[in-house]
Amino acid sequence: MFKTLTACLRYASVTVLLTGTAWAQAEAPDFTGVWTNYRGPGGGGGRGGPALPLTAEAQAKVADYQSLVSPTGETPGGHCLGTGMPGSMLGSGGYPMEIIQRPDQITIIYEAHNEIRRVYFGERIIPESDRFPERNGYSTGRWEGDTLVVDTTQLREQVDQRYAHSDQARIVERYTMSEEDGRKVLTAEMTMTDPVFLTEPFSAVKRWSIVPNGFLMTYECNEPNWHRVLDELRAERDSAGPEGTQP
Amino acid sequence: MKLSLLVVTVIALGAAGAGPAAAHHSAAAMDFQNTVEIEGVVQEIEVVNPHLTLVLRVTDERGTRDIEFEGHSRNNVYRAGWRPDIVKVGDTITIRVAPMRDGSDGGYVTAFETASGERVGV
Repeated sequence: MFKTLTACLRYASVTVLLTGTAWAQAEAPDFTGVWTNYRGPGGGGGRGGPALPLTAEAQAKVADYQSLVSPTGETPGGHCLGTGMPGSMLGSGGYPMEIIQRPDQITIIYEAHNEIRRVYFGERIIPESDRFPERNGYSTGRWEGDTLVVDTTQLREQVDQRYAHSDQARIVERYTMSEEDGRKVLTAEMTMTDPVFLTEPFSAVKRWSIVPNGFLMTYECNEPNWHRVLDELRAERDSAGPEGTQP
Repeated sequence: MKLSLLVVTVIALGAAGAGPAAAHHSAAAMDFQNTVEIEGVVQEIEVVNPHLTLVLRVTDERGTRDIEFEGHSRNNVYRAGWRPDIVKVGDTITIRVAPMRDGSDGGYVTAFETASGERVGV
């Protein structure tokens, strides 16, 4: 009797869990599409705003980096390296971004530098100990009603973007979709916390408008660099002369 | 002939964080507030990311010489109207350029009009 009751309770729990999951997936808004900077009242946000509340340690690291690159204007993008979070998200829109949504994964592609973020749900989330630190971090998602909450950690320390942060940073984005003049608008409210680089949380808001039938272009960038390598190899080989080519 | 600035000028530099590539010039060295128009004959053109490169044979009061320019990314100029092969070596084109602040040759191409009158960034 006891075993039967336990089994019934387990079945009921599983049923509730499954029903809850199905409801969340069925009711979640679909963010799939191509998005660009929102240009309505208030603008798209994301850039500008208050300065980062950097700690003394962070200020020293940022100043050191700036002293390296300021004289020449070197940037990661100039060398085909992606921006990394949160700059990739807050800066996107000048180049569009594409969202592909599945119940277990949302993929966000920023056209600039082909940066890709994957937001994992449920069983697709791997243990923290198995994750590599990356410039865009590791993102997990959950739905709170119609709001998509994305939690990003495992970031690399970065002073080479506008929003400098340490590898201890955590970024939480809350995405909501609305409609304005018949056009979908996506809003992200972002907060970054960082016990090493920030004296207090930093928050920003970013908005995009849907691009009907929009598309992303591939951001080929490294081919000229590769051709330069081939030119150098060719010059080195040819300067060696016929004897240099002998086995 | 008047060309308008590409509307993506600031966005292209800022959003992608894609400043000039190595061996090129800092964006800070160019004057985006006082652009100029330059006509010349295309010697080389490579429309790539993160920045296009263009060598134009220019004749002005300082004589005739080949000047190297850089400009927006392939993706940006495509969205501004550029299509493959609308500019070829040997074509006479007019470009709008953010000139070097120090007055030297070169600068950042923000718009151009092709030999057949097609306008990119207008």
